[in-house]
Amino acid sequence: MKIKDAEIISLMQNPRTQEKGVRALMDAYQSRLYWHIRRIIVDGDLAQDTLQETFIKAYQNFHQFKNDSQLYTWLYRIATNEALQQVNKMNKMKKTDEDAEYHMQNLVADNTEGSAEEIQILLQNAIQSLPEKQKLVFMMRYYDDLPYEEISKIVDMSVGTLKTNYHYAKQKIEEFIKENYER
Amino acid sequence: MKEFDIEKLERKNIYKVPDHLFANIQENVMNDIKTSKKAPVFKLNWMYAAAASVALIFGMTYVLNSDNDSAEKGLTSDTAYAANKGEPKTEGELAYETLKADLTSADNNNQTVVNQGSNVDYAFKNEKEKTEASPKSVKATPKKDEAKMNDYLDSFSNSEIAELASNSTQDVYLDLYN
Repeated sequence: MKIKDAEIISLMQNPRTQEKGVRALMDAYQSRLYWHIRRIIVDGDLAQDTLQETFIKAYQNFHQFKNDSQLYTWLYRIATNEALQQVNKMNKMKKTDEDAEYHMQNLVADNTEGSAEEIQILLQNAIQSLPEKQKLVFMMRYYDDLPYEEISKIVDMSVGTLKTNYHYAKQKIEEFIKENYER
Repeated sequence: MKEFDIEKLERKNIYKVPDHLFANIQENVMNDIKTSKKAPVFKLNWMYAAAASVALIFGMTYVLNSDNDSAEKGLTSDTAYAANKGEPKTEGELAYETLKADLTSADNNNQTVVNQGSNVDYAFKNEKEKTEASPKSVKATPKKDEAKMNDYLDSFSNSEIAELASNSTQDVYLDLYN
């Protein structure tokens, strides 16, 4: 991955090969970023738009990328910000936090495949019930298996705070599933 | 459910994904990039924008003011040009001049119909050239009436005569053409 990142960066930094670089960047990270965004936003169309915007911003602002951080960390940061902006837009239309949580759980129901297991649906609903920071930390750690140090760079939080947040998030989710699982 | 460990659960993506999702995303992104390359967007510094606005305001003010000045100058010079040009005077002006000449020479006892007629001829001179219309004959005032008129006018002071002249311009003008 390291060598590939170096190739992508080299292509992106050269104006003649920039378009090729964007393609390589998308090939390498589109799937991971898409699912990261999708778990935050849930809505499929909105997630697609947000991923597109993430790549366009990455292309437009590549001169701001510093080699001292990992390429995926930088991309995750852009994607997370874009996704949170979309969620905030959606939440502005809702009067209370409960309305917003209810809306997200409806979205989960509407967007879930028919073959999905009940426990997996419950897990997604439990994630949507978490506060924003806990939700982000939990998803990046649980699904993407990102090291705390990298998550720290993405969400601007200390490693200690992240560990605490993850611990509380996990506890809440387990409680939620225990309460709502009907088998 | 009494015991549940989330770490033992399989990590799955359970959301529906449309066909050709990533191909569409790549195509849209590349189209957007190509469009933005063709039409580059320049970020305008607000200071430059403010400076340009001020320059535009001053420029417009200067242009509008210079237009007004030149219009006024043009008007003045046109008027002066017309005054100096020696263009034929209007009928009213000629009639007034004729009357004035008559009134100032009212105390001249030698004034006769012939003299007045010459004045009328003078009044008509330019008019004749301009219109080429045949001048109407002026009826000669009988000598007696002329003398009476002169006596009557003698009784007026100069200022009264001037006032009378300014008020009677139109009447005289009409008389001349009767």
